Amino acid sequence: MKKLYLIVILLLTATSLSAQHNHSSDNALHVREVDSEHSLYHLDAEWTNHRGDTVTLDDFKGKPVIVVMFYGNCTEVCPILIQDTWRLYSGVDESVRDEVNVLAVSFDTENDTPEVLHEYAKYEQLDIPDWHFMTSENASVRSLAMMLGVQYSKKSDGHFAHSNLVTVLDGEGKIAKRVEGLNQPMEKAAAVINSIINTNKNK
Amino acid sequence: MKILTNIAPVTITLAALAVVMMSLPNKAVAQVLVPSGSFHSVMPEVKGEPVGVDSFYLDTTAVTNHQYNEFLQDHEDWQPENVPSIFAYKGYLKSWESTNTDEVVNPDYPVTNVSWYAANAYCQATGGRLPTLNEWEYSAQLMDFNSSMEAAEFADRLMSWYSTVDNENIGSVGSTGIENRHGVKDQFGLIMEWVEDYKPVVADDLSLDCGTVGRMQQLGNAYSYAASIRYITRMSFNPKSTNSTVGFRCAYDVETMEDKKASL
Repeated sequence: MKKLYLIVILLLTATSLSAQHNHSSDNALHVREVDSEHSLYHLDAEWTNHRGDTVTLDDFKGKPVIVVMFYGNCTEVCPILIQDTWRLYSGVDESVRDEVNVLAVSFDTENDTPEVLHEYAKYEQLDIPDWHFMTSENASVRSLAMMLGVQYSKKSDGHFAHSNLVTVLDGEGKIAKRVEGLNQPMEKAAAVINSIINTNKNK
Repeated sequence: MKILTNIAPVTITLAALAVVMMSLPNKAVAQVLVPSGSFHSVMPEVKGEPVGVDSFYLDTTAVTNHQYNEFLQDHEDWQPENVPSIFAYKGYLKSWESTNTDEVVNPDYPVTNVSWYAANAYCQATGGRLPTLNEWEYSAQLMDFNSSMEAAEFADRLMSWYSTVDNENIGSVGSTGIENRHGVKDQFGLIMEWVEDYKPVVADDLSLDCGTVGRMQQLGNAYSYAASIRYITRMSFNPKSTNSTVGFRCAYDVETMEDKKASL
């Protein structure tokens, strides 16, 4: 566990200029500031999920949404990121958990086809109704990343340097909570989701 | 004899297609193939190693006010009164007095005061995309000079342009006389341009200090000072920024373009 912690610290601090020569450790980028006043559902791009369905972001309107950006060939960091997302999802009160949708969006538009994402979902044992592994055109993926403040950049070895960020959207698609970094506590974010659901019920 | 300021050898794999000029339906813009190769970036992934770039098509000029206005007719969502504030600051298209009329002021000038989101949407709508930062910088360096004197003079011109960009009087696209060897015009001397990934990966740790500029300057070629200025300027942007000296041009994947040609 101590070793893992060390790796995480390394990853988080490895964006300095001096670290750019080290291929293995410069994958973690900071997140950018975002506009949380306005709905992300203005992005009207079409996405394909791992079940082969075409969806748009506003299909998820009215319910809280957890968004995470990752890529399938990422074997070191992304499984932790997906696991973090699962911890948040499973931290929501069980009675209302099926009100939550999880969008796991790949920025590897070349390799992560719906079929590949389907295999990924099955492998991670997350081929469940509330979870949607999604892909789209590169320009749409980049737009979503800009709106979330996620940075990513493809490297010459085919891997991506990227931010590690889990975002909670409220029922209108506005950013309600952001959790940056790996292995972060998820209690506050789960409380935000519970409160979004409660607010929606009282409307 | 031509002197190439580009240090890395340029591999031309599609030479036969190198200067294929073509037009998209309904668009007067011409695109040219920029053949694959490599260049020395001021911000390489690995210090001292050239950055490889695959072949792609690039608009020969920046998108004009006229072209952007046509896009707005078909995409009302992007008209200034409709555009959601998550996609652009209030300065979006502020130099346009009205978009309800067909008469666009300075139709041949490059459109500016457009956010990254708007530029990205325009290119997506034309079947293209924004060029990546590396594609844009690679194309910009594909210039030939007849002598090292000419290269030095060019570097001087660039330096003075970057220190005195005149946003009141930009000029028409194609008016700079600056063109790369494949016919891509005005990458210097007219406006700054959006690219898909406008902040380089390590940009968080950079600022406009002598050390940063010094590191970038080590390329020592005609482009390095100008490139340093561009990298540093881009870092101050965010995707909603609408700046009077920032416009864009679109790029296209080779397969997309071949498909288009086949269907014409």
